[in-house]
Amino acid sequence: MKRQTDVLVGLVVLLIAVATIGAVAWVKQADIGKRQRDVVARFHDVGNARVGNAVVIRGVVGGRVQTIELAPNGWVDVHMKIDPSVQLPADPVVLLNETSLFGEWQATVIERNALPHDEAVQREIDDPGRGRGVLPGASQPGIGKLTAVAGQIAGDVANVAGRVEVAFDEQAAHELRGSIKNVSDLSTTLSSVVRTHASDLDVLSDELRKAIETLNRAANSVQTTAGRVDSATTSPQVRAIVTDVAAASTDLRRAATQVNDLSKRFATSQTRLDALLATGDSLLTKINSGQGSLGLFVNDPSMYRRTDSLLVQLRALAADIQANPKKYISVKIF
Amino acid sequence: MATATQSLPSSTADTRRRGSLLADGVAGVGAIALRGVGSIGSASRFIGEALVALRDATTWLPQALGQMWTLGVASLPIALFIATFTGIVLALLASYSFTGAVPLYFVGTLVEKTVTLELAPVLTGLALAGRVGANIAAELGTMRVTEQIDALETLGYDPIPFLVVPRVLAGAVMFPFVVAASMIVGVGAGWAASVALLHISTPEFVKGLRLFFQAFDVQYGLVKSASFGFAVTLIGCARGLKTQGGAVGVGRAATSAVVYSAVFILVLDAFWAVTWLLGRDAVR
Repeated sequence: MKRQTDVLVGLVVLLIAVATIGAVAWVKQADIGKRQRDVVARFHDVGNARVGNAVVIRGVVGGRVQTIELAPNGWVDVHMKIDPSVQLPADPVVLLNETSLFGEWQATVIERNALPHDEAVQREIDDPGRGRGVLPGASQPGIGKLTAVAGQIAGDVANVAGRVEVAFDEQAAHELRGSIKNVSDLSTTLSSVVRTHASDLDVLSDELRKAIETLNRAANSVQTTAGRVDSATTSPQVRAIVTDVAAASTDLRRAATQVNDLSKRFATSQTRLDALLATGDSLLTKINSGQGSLGLFVNDPSMYRRTDSLLVQLRALAADIQANPKKYISVKIF
Repeated sequence: MATATQSLPSSTADTRRRGSLLADGVAGVGAIALRGVGSIGSASRFIGEALVALRDATTWLPQALGQMWTLGVASLPIALFIATFTGIVLALLASYSFTGAVPLYFVGTLVEKTVTLELAPVLTGLALAGRVGANIAAELGTMRVTEQIDALETLGYDPIPFLVVPRVLAGAVMFPFVVAASMIVGVGAGWAASVALLHISTPEFVKGLRLFFQAFDVQYGLVKSASFGFAVTLIGCARGLKTQGGAVGVGRAATSAVVYSAVFILVLDAFWAVTWLLGRDAVR
């Protein structure tokens, strides 16, 4: 009996121990004796990721986070155990993100090209300081961080609202009410003006419409005339006329060119004549004012008299020379 | 004396009466303190004697396996019964609480956490306090009032290694196994209730179960239950060995053993929570 009791106790103890260990291993998804690949990713910050979180590849759980430990230079290394049959994507990176609002996190292994358009994530992934032999990793903000940011924004909005409340005092409200009343009055005035001038606008519109019709008709007439002209210009006589007119036009152009040259020359001559007249005018002015020899000669009567006397004397001298040439001219050969 | 008192002025008599009441109050406090210190001292001495008696393995070892059967294996039915219904009720309560706001797979999380950390150890401990604690106190109390223990002492046998150590060791060793079985059955019952009554699929329940599971949860529950087993059996032994006054005394010993055991289970539960859970990261 005692032996049987001992065996039963031993059996129960062993059974419960094995069942408990098995249950814990099953719940923890422990792969006892199974080989797994160790992959290390390096992060600046791992958020709320924890040991045991799922490692997801293309939406399928392919492993578990094994350890999370601090690395040198401000990095955090996340060691992941991944099923060796799982093939990682080309150029893989690891994103830590929240999978629900209840604090569940996972490590997602994706291609670098498939990263979300998030500047902070890109910057963290591209950080060259993490060294070699590890996958680049980045953590996306969890709902807690987003809520904190939203709370901050709400605080700022409340702050702004408070300032508006301070600025929007009784006086401002009164002025705003006055402005609104002014706008209302202006609107009423505009409305009455529009109503008053509505008939004028109708008349104007009618006249405008008639004018447009007239213009249309004129345009039609012009179009018809142009058509006729077009048909007329196609006859040989008109062509000859046009040719003659062209020749005449060429001759006229040539004549005009010559006239143009002539007028240019005339302008040049006129300029010279103007300059000559100006010079003559200046000379006459000087003569009239008694400047220079000619002026003195013209304006001074004593000069005339002396000159006349000199001429008389010269005539007497010439007569004397003719009469007595030897008196004035002596020619000697030796 | 009465005549002399009557002859005193009434104010003097009142003063003396007040002084007497004050002295009685102080004396009462002193008596309580002495009893408390005495209890602590006797309990410490009892524990010390039990620890010393551990050296006498030839005496307690043959008794231990029998006690393990009585206190552990024989207690499994009641423990598993409690765990089954606890798991079912927990699953239903969780789904009732989560309606509309929280995904239903969290039923698995709540059942696992609650059963392993708290309900399996405490409810099983309380149940075994009634069953085991009362059993030990009544058994030893009867031996005491029928002078069997006195006979042992007369024959030169120390009752501690013969009667106390096997029970305490059996309780401390077997309680964790009983509680482990309760954990498995409780979570299983929660899963069955979730699938059958709440229309939660097995993968959903398992997802919630695994979501925040840590081996520490089980470790914490088992260590706590070992301390419960130690306390329940030790109190039962202490109350049984101090039994006086025949059948009434035996009944009183059994009752006090259950009450003290229940109180100590709750105190120890709080002690472990403060010393081991406080400040520990829940999802580490």
